[in-house]
Amino acid sequence: MEKNSKRNLIITLATIGIISALVLTFVYEWTTPYIEANQAKAQKQAINEVLPNVEEVEEVEKNGNIFYEGYDANGNQIGVAFQNSGGGYNGMIEVMIGVDLKDNKIYKISVLNHQETPGLGARITEPEFKSNFENKNFGDYQVVKTPPKKETEVQAIAGATISSDSMTEIIEEGLDIVTSAYGGGN
Amino acid sequence: MSIDFKELIKDFTNGLWAENPIIRLVIGMCPTLAVTNTASNGLAMGLATSFVLIMSEIVISIIKKLIPANVRIPSYILIIATFVTFTDYFLKAFFPGIAASLSIFIPLIVVNCLILGRQEAFASKNPTHRAIADGLGMGIGFTWVLTLLGMIRELFGMGSMFGFQLLGEWYRPMVIMVLPAGAFITLGILVGIMNQISREGK
Repeated sequence: MEKNSKRNLIITLATIGIISALVLTFVYEWTTPYIEANQAKAQKQAINEVLPNVEEVEEVEKNGNIFYEGYDANGNQIGVAFQNSGGGYNGMIEVMIGVDLKDNKIYKISVLNHQETPGLGARITEPEFKSNFENKNFGDYQVVKTPPKKETEVQAIAGATISSDSMTEIIEEGLDIVTSAYGGGN
Repeated sequence: MSIDFKELIKDFTNGLWAENPIIRLVIGMCPTLAVTNTASNGLAMGLATSFVLIMSEIVISIIKKLIPANVRIPSYILIIATFVTFTDYFLKAFFPGIAASLSIFIPLIVVNCLILGRQEAFASKNPTHRAIADGLGMGIGFTWVLTLLGMIRELFGMGSMFGFQLLGEWYRPMVIMVLPAGAFITLGILVGIMNQISREGK
């Protein structure tokens, strides 16, 4: 039989396709538990980072968003952590935000995922930038390029204004989500 | 079957310098320019690409006689894509840090023309043991240039190397080096230097 006959071409490609699909099915089955565990671990770490002295975390769904309510050792609610994401300079930025809903303050923020430029936008993960939001009242934040004078001012990372703007927007949007889910900021 | 070791060594060393994929053949430029902003990114990308290259060269050199010439390119791509997907899952499961920093560039190894190029030029014409030597040589050749590029760009762009801060506070990082333009400049200079070296060697 001719090697380049139509039948032979179809058989060759189908066989390779089937073998490849089989191999990848096993690889997928094998790696998925590890990948999910890694993601869960990263998320748990982020929650512990943004809620101070949290002992227990409860997952709650409100308005289609998932919130993590944190309780201290005595069972008092200390705050709520939640994820929000938005477009950055190179791709999506995912942020975990921890808030104190009694005083309407941000505790801390943590960056879960981002693809910003190393050395520039990637510095959104560094304490120096994150401290811009720590212990701040909810409000409209303005990104400035000089050391901040007002509480609502956020100092942009030099050379990474877009990343700084995106972070500020993601956080502002997140605060709207959490206040509307928990009853208009009371 | 007798194995000609001289030939094997020649196949292996070919990729390290004489036909180095980046500085001599100038193929596989997408990851070369995109992920070499730090030394560890360059190294990780080089190793991931080498794995895919070696594995697909082995498989293709084994089954080359079974593949009809008319569908050889789609067949190669299927085999390469299988190994790339494997690498992607494997890194996400066991090296989440590396997977996060290379992100989209791991799946993009599929379209790295270095890999398809070596199947077409070498694995599909030569026995398996020679294909392994070629894959190893090309893989190491690709990795060392990628790592060197990453080291230079990270040093000038961030003052560090493999994440360790080398240059002190006095150093004002050249931001352009971690941006795409820095990749072109560094690669151009590097290729120039390498050409000079091999010309003097003659």
